[in-house]
Amino acid sequence: MQTRRVNGYDMAYLALGEGRPLVCVHGTLGDFRTFAAVLGPLSRQHRVIAVSLRHFFPAHWDGTGDDYKIAQHVADVIAFIEQVEPRPVDLMGHSRGGHIAFRIAQARPDLLSKLVLAEPGGELDATLEAPSSVEPASRAARILASVEKIRAGDLDGALKNFYEGIEGEGRWARLPAVAKQQLRDNVFTLLGQVGEDRKPYSRQDAHSIRTPTLFIGGTKTTGSLAVVLRALSAEVPGAQLAMIEAAGHWMFDQAPQAYSKAVIDFLAA
Amino acid sequence: MQSLRVNGYDMAYLDIGKGPPLVCVHGSLCDFRNWSPVLGPLTTRHRVISVSLRHFFPDHWNGSGHTYSLAQHIEDVIAFIARLDVGAVDLMGHSRGGHVCFRVAQRRPDLLSKLILAEPGGEIDATLDPDYTHAPWPMAGPISAAADAIAKGDVDGGLEIFLTALQVPWKRLPATTRQLLRDNATTLIGDARDERIPFSKSDAESIKVPTLFIGGANTRGLLPKVLHALAAHVPNSRTEMIAAATHAMFEQAPQTYSRIVLDFLEG
Repeated sequence: MQTRRVNGYDMAYLALGEGRPLVCVHGTLGDFRTFAAVLGPLSRQHRVIAVSLRHFFPAHWDGTGDDYKIAQHVADVIAFIEQVEPRPVDLMGHSRGGHIAFRIAQARPDLLSKLVLAEPGGELDATLEAPSSVEPASRAARILASVEKIRAGDLDGALKNFYEGIEGEGRWARLPAVAKQQLRDNVFTLLGQVGEDRKPYSRQDAHSIRTPTLFIGGTKTTGSLAVVLRALSAEVPGAQLAMIEAAGHWMFDQAPQAYSKAVIDFLAA
Repeated sequence: MQSLRVNGYDMAYLDIGKGPPLVCVHGSLCDFRNWSPVLGPLTTRHRVISVSLRHFFPDHWNGSGHTYSLAQHIEDVIAFIARLDVGAVDLMGHSRGGHVCFRVAQRRPDLLSKLILAEPGGEIDATLDPDYTHAPWPMAGPISAAADAIAKGDVDGGLEIFLTALQVPWKRLPATTRQLLRDNATTLIGDARDERIPFSKSDAESIKVPTLFIGGANTRGLLPKVLHALAAHVPNSRTEMIAAATHAMFEQAPQTYSRIVLDFLEG
């Protein structure tokens, strides 16, 4: 694959299409293939650059070392964008990748033209969250339980546990084998996620975003992802919100045309 | 994407992993993304090079010109392997891509170490098929009708015509699958014009490269018939059928498929 050297690491990426660069950042257990279903529509208008964050496939990481951190991935994507021409670029992130994109918009708005956050991951602090609206410990507990299973060699059990924490009990069995395999290719990144040091979002964080921002969600997504989406989209100045009907957290897989249209319309406006 | 200039065209490819090179060729209406579900397992031991044939995505082809054909794609893959300049490679093709790879192995065995044909597409002539009659190809009508619809801009309608003829329910396919087909829909315009040459017994006997045939145990129709007819006559070949799988067997059983391929390449 093509790679760019960022902070001592060869970061792999897929780039296709012509037009203004749109850098895409996958979420937990994803990689550059995460956005495969929307590459066709998006690459008609844009140069789509889908990265694989440090330690995700095509790396075959064993989970060792201490450089799997939110801050490291933020620094890596910043260093990556600094090498993209022309700048500023549009930036899109899904889930944990949405968290990373949000932090980049806070730290380096000069690099960005527009920002697309598809159900960004993370927690809300007391300035954004009504008390006990969600159970903040559940995600951490889920990941810890998955890590236990990985260490015991039960990779599919670890993935099932994580996936059903987001999409609901019983959903793993209905996930196509293709999607399962892509998660499996990145399963060891869950080991890094325990100590990734993710900070909650604050009202001040949201207010500080100056980049025009589109939030995208799936109407079927429940739990903290839906709560975070509503809270941030209400507080980021001038933000738009597009909800994809009958879709869950992987809304670009479930509704690639509706998702692409929302993104293309926002970027063209 | 990375690309190599072959026969005047920039042929895009995805290149992942280290090890002996394995060049992968997708089938009809697919592209380099075809092999996504097996990239993880295969790249643990191989350099996997997944190409997009001429006019498939990431190209956004409008269907014009006469540069889309099996003959052109065979020439392109031969030129691509030569341009890679890494010596003999392993070559894997699915469906129509399996047909392309079979013809590459006939013409240029010097370029190949091993050959993997996953339900290669095409017809078999009277030397391989006792039931053979020189009748019009039954898919010619549906492909022509599908191509007409797609050329007029009715992409989903055209794809539905094509898939219905193959007894695949378009509306029940996963949304991701439908989108990849849409991204390559205009290639059916090329297929409608293309000339197909059936496999013969002497074609099969001429393959000198060690060959693995892979099929889905539940695939119906012409594909398994062609697979078994070829496998019976390709001299140095073996066959593996994947239980409970059909034509997209590497999507349905990526781990089993990968293990079979890795075992064959290392055997």
